[in-house]
Amino acid sequence: MPLDHRRLRGPEESQPPALWASAAAEDEEDEEGAGAAPRDPCALRPLFARAGLLSQAQGSAYVELGSGTKVLCAAWGPREAAEPGPGRLICEFRRAPFAGRGARGRPGAAAEREAEREAAAALREALEPAVRLGRYPRARLAVSALLLQDGGSALAAAVSAAALALADAGVEMYDLAVGCALCRPPAPAASWMLQPAEPEERRAAARLTLALLPALNQVSAVLGGGRGGPPEDWAQALRLGLDGCHRQYPVLRQSLLRAAQRRDAAAAA
Amino acid sequence: MASVMLSEAEKLYIVHGVQEDLRVDGRGCEDYRCAEVETDVVSNTSGSARVKLGETDILVGIKAEMGTPKLEKPDEGYLEFFVDCSSNSPELEGRGGEELGTDIANTLYRVFSCENSVDLKSLCINPKEHCWVLYVDVLLLECGGNIFDAISIAVKAALFNTRIPKVRVLEDEEGTKEIELSDDPYDCIRLNVDEVPCIVTLSKIGYRHVVDATLQEEACSLASLLISVTSKGAITSMKKVGKGSLDPESIFEMMETGQRVGKSLHIALQKILDEEENLGTSRPKVGFLG
Repeated sequence: MPLDHRRLRGPEESQPPALWASAAAEDEEDEEGAGAAPRDPCALRPLFARAGLLSQAQGSAYVELGSGTKVLCAAWGPREAAEPGPGRLICEFRRAPFAGRGARGRPGAAAEREAEREAAAALREALEPAVRLGRYPRARLAVSALLLQDGGSALAAAVSAAALALADAGVEMYDLAVGCALCRPPAPAASWMLQPAEPEERRAAARLTLALLPALNQVSAVLGGGRGGPPEDWAQALRLGLDGCHRQYPVLRQSLLRAAQRRDAAAAA
Repeated sequence: MASVMLSEAEKLYIVHGVQEDLRVDGRGCEDYRCAEVETDVVSNTSGSARVKLGETDILVGIKAEMGTPKLEKPDEGYLEFFVDCSSNSPELEGRGGEELGTDIANTLYRVFSCENSVDLKSLCINPKEHCWVLYVDVLLLECGGNIFDAISIAVKAALFNTRIPKVRVLEDEEGTKEIELSDDPYDCIRLNVDEVPCIVTLSKIGYRHVVDATLQEEACSLASLLISVTSKGAITSMKKVGKGSLDPESIFEMMETGQRVGKSLHIALQKILDEEENLGTSRPKVGFLG
């Protein structure tokens, strides 16, 4: 219904009531968090990956992490581009309006679009080393990631999903890019934790996301910031992240194999 | 980014030279080009700095304005970054320059996202109502390779040079707010820049990495790592840029080099800034004519 401006005009900016109710509620949350057994920092959350689920896109993948992050990704194989030159990879990252835990930001808001563009650039950084763009001159490969629910480590899950989707679309790649996120809580001598959940990520003093090509052991993306400390701490975090990526790799390969088998069975039937 | 066309033979020449720790202009792999830093070049700003690193020319102006604090941090001020690249070269006009500008601005936001880089609590006037917002505007006058390093040096120098007037906001009985400025124009807040980080870009060429790459060297390198280092050697952010991938061992080596180079960069920069400060008003201003 169109807005009736003659009636009550609400404030131009609205804020969620949670901001003012935070004092009492956060105390409760902190107590709960401290009371529960401290999490094993090297534990990987359960990962569910499935490729080949969208019929309209040439390749697709869905990745779900144990903390609640759900990413759906679609990829389209080479299409002819107008500009001459080597092949280009175009990435897009969208957040569903209901994805975040806090208030629903207006979907077209500038800050929202900025964050999406930054994430899309990071996604492209992570995927470009993995794709054999030299085999697709004058072509455009498109990848579109949609974040359905943000439960922490969203960008890492999106990298894994996008690599799976590209592989499912039949694009020639050197290797699958596996993403992993880490964070470090604000306590003074805290250690880095793998795959943080959303509240841990929000309170973190430092965050790191990395993407690895496991078979070649090459890092394709590193993005981190915050109060990390001396290089030894960051090196330790990197090693933990690389180990996490290696452990996730078999699950992703398995999902690709299953998708190929399903496609064969459907074609034979 | 502005790029140079290089033939394969030229690329090979640069790569072989770097293997021997000898770059085209005679530097070692960890040497910076000759840099000129000058502060207080623009008089209408609260603080400004100009940095010329080889061919790269950056101008930063900081304006301090009063605004309302953000909802999540009611007793702190904040910084806003804006980067303008359009004056640079024809290929950077319009969309291309805008993308590069937002990319640099996002990197600056990430570098300064660490809470103790700038003392934001000193920028607060009245909690929840008034605070200082520092608008940092970066102009890329000429791109000669290694713009991130030059921009971070310029931002640090401009923050050191920033003078924010001391202000009190008084509220009288009817609720009208009155802003009281001190009479002395030299009575101002200065920012402590000890924890402000500087970005060090390490570009991987062949099997070694170089600091402060020129445009030609950037064309030979497939992947670079941007690290922001504080003067105490703590790393506050990391980002890999480029089309290629990096070996984990190279990343560890690059971080060590970045920390070493960053620390010496901070020492040299602080020395120059202190010298400029001590000269005071008797300093000969060079500006854009030198």
